[in-house]
Amino acid sequence: MATNLGKRKRPIAEANPQARKLEREESEAPELDAQEIFRRHFEAQFKPLPVVQSTAQQVEDVSEDDSSEESEWEGISEPEEESVEVIEHTDAQSRMAAMSKEELKAFMGSKPPKSSLSIPLIRDKEGALIKDDDASESANLKKDLALQRLLTESHLLESSSNPTLSGKNRHKATDLRLQALGSKTSIFKQEKMPITHRKGIVAKETEREGNRRREARENGIILEKAKMKGKKSSDGKRDRGVGAPAVGKFSGGTLKLSKSDIHDIEGPKRSPSTRGGGRGRGRGKRGK
Amino acid sequence: MMTPNPEFLRFTTHKSLTQRLVFSTLTGRPIHVSQIRSSSPTNPGLAPHEISFLRLLDSITNGSSLQISYTGTTFTYVPGLITGSVVNSGDVVKCALPESCRRGVSWFLIPLCMLAPFSKAPLNVRFEGEGVITSATETGDVSVDSVRTAILPLYEQFGIMGAKLELRVLQRSCAGSGGKGGGGVVELRFGSQVRLPKTLHMNRNPGRVRKIRGVAYCTGVSASGNARMIHAARGVLNPLVGDVHVAAQYDQAPLISSGDRNDPGKKKRTGVGFGLALIAESSAEGVIYSADVAAPSSGGVTPEDIGKQCAYQLLENISQGGCVTRVGAGTVLTLMAMGSEDVGRVRLGRDVLGTEDVILLGRDLKKFGASSWGMRDAEDDETGDIIVSVKGIGVGNVGRKVA
Repeated sequence: MATNLGKRKRPIAEANPQARKLEREESEAPELDAQEIFRRHFEAQFKPLPVVQSTAQQVEDVSEDDSSEESEWEGISEPEEESVEVIEHTDAQSRMAAMSKEELKAFMGSKPPKSSLSIPLIRDKEGALIKDDDASESANLKKDLALQRLLTESHLLESSSNPTLSGKNRHKATDLRLQALGSKTSIFKQEKMPITHRKGIVAKETEREGNRRREARENGIILEKAKMKGKKSSDGKRDRGVGAPAVGKFSGGTLKLSKSDIHDIEGPKRSPSTRGGGRGRGRGKRGK
Repeated sequence: MMTPNPEFLRFTTHKSLTQRLVFSTLTGRPIHVSQIRSSSPTNPGLAPHEISFLRLLDSITNGSSLQISYTGTTFTYVPGLITGSVVNSGDVVKCALPESCRRGVSWFLIPLCMLAPFSKAPLNVRFEGEGVITSATETGDVSVDSVRTAILPLYEQFGIMGAKLELRVLQRSCAGSGGKGGGGVVELRFGSQVRLPKTLHMNRNPGRVRKIRGVAYCTGVSASGNARMIHAARGVLNPLVGDVHVAAQYDQAPLISSGDRNDPGKKKRTGVGFGLALIAESSAEGVIYSADVAAPSSGGVTPEDIGKQCAYQLLENISQGGCVTRVGAGTVLTLMAMGSEDVGRVRLGRDVLGTEDVILLGRDLKKFGASSWGMRDAEDDETGDIIVSVKGIGVGNVGRKVA
């Protein structure tokens, strides 16, 4: 029994550090992720943080952990353990920190750079810059516009992947401006696609909306009125071709009037006692 | 200017040669320089870059005469009128530097800029040839970027219009193999001439560093070096100043003739290297600190090292204090001494004033007839800076006076 116990102990003792290691890795990973998320958020709002030290430390930490936990194992030779290889990944920070176009031009031109150079960022229609201290009415209007745009579009800059107003964000900003000007559809709406895809999208949309309404009803939340999606009375406003008759259908050299057309032309049959000599007699409802 | 019996001012050795030549040209006093590397058994006499500078002086002045002894260890210089670049066609004086030149082109540019405000016509000089090194060098010269961003702005305070100054770098080049030669092309256009530069009063607090700018340049090596230098420099500077922006400049290495006799049309590339030039602007007007580091021509350093080294050099220059750095002190003090007959004041750091260059400059100025400097401690704070008062000679622009 004793020998059995001894044998059994060993795998447990060995398994323990592994389990601990696993636990630690699991607990570390979300923490790192959270830090990463915070860092990105901060950088998107302010300036990029210097990351050099932290990465180096992390690399060292990991290696130290490894060496302490696997101290029983003597497979790795000494010199390899001593020299910790620190790898720095140069990232896109230097690109983000580049000067603006105007500043670069002023600084890298052949003239000596002005010491107190404040470069205005608002441009007028011709692309010329407006000075900060320009107090004219038109300049103020342009500044207002720039401010409004900044307010409405600044949420686009929050994405960590692209914190500039270029690329995809530029198109998003254009879409926002178009919709503010009264565009009915988004420029991102895809017009042509296979009908199965379209059906799928519509079905998903209605399902999502239905779910939302159902959940709201179950929770006792009152939502806005559902938009009626009934068919539109389109036959009245149907666009008839040029030269086509306003009433009926012209085919084979004859004008064919349907029953409803005749009914429309004749108007409602009323007894002359109720309404005598009323106007609109013999004319259609539509007043064509 | 040519007096029948000129009284020569006598100097020895090649130390601060350009400075003495500039003073001589401005004040009109002829000089006699002897014992130029006379103790050197292998390379006695004037070095190639010094000869080039003398030739350049000859071409931008009218009526100067130059006599060099057989071994080159002694020469006499009788200055003429600074005419600028009217004499040559194409309004630009061309100055070809030989391949054996070891000094950066800023060694020529800085003294040339001191002469230019006193010129009769705009002074346009183009440096070309197989010896033009635009980067910083191991011999202690700064890069052209530093000249443009740190030295030329100093002229604005002397009443010289900065808008009319231009320093075009048409081809960049680092020092070639063995630190000799490059293949750069640089054009200085100094279009602002004054009757008399006014003096300067920079005796206030130098303020705090507000922003840092710079240029990282890679010539003929991988352009990623720029990003690496910038990253390393920002690693040092970012915790101290938020506003750090460094421009990256990549160029191909210049082509020069390979010097092969059998195939004279054959070309080779030279002047490969990289470097970083940083400037720090303070909240006080006109106060600029600069730093400049380039990779040595022998190689063996990483861009990260250069970036870090340059950032530390900048910090060192800032810590020295004062309103003018070591690099700019010569220009500022010379212009103050040569300008209007007022007393100007400039605040210099103790370590800047105590350098050999500045002390030699003061002695030379005295020898050329300028009045002595007055010095006192800056008392408004604990920096230990010294306020130097310089009285101008009022040489002014002789060409303008006549015209």
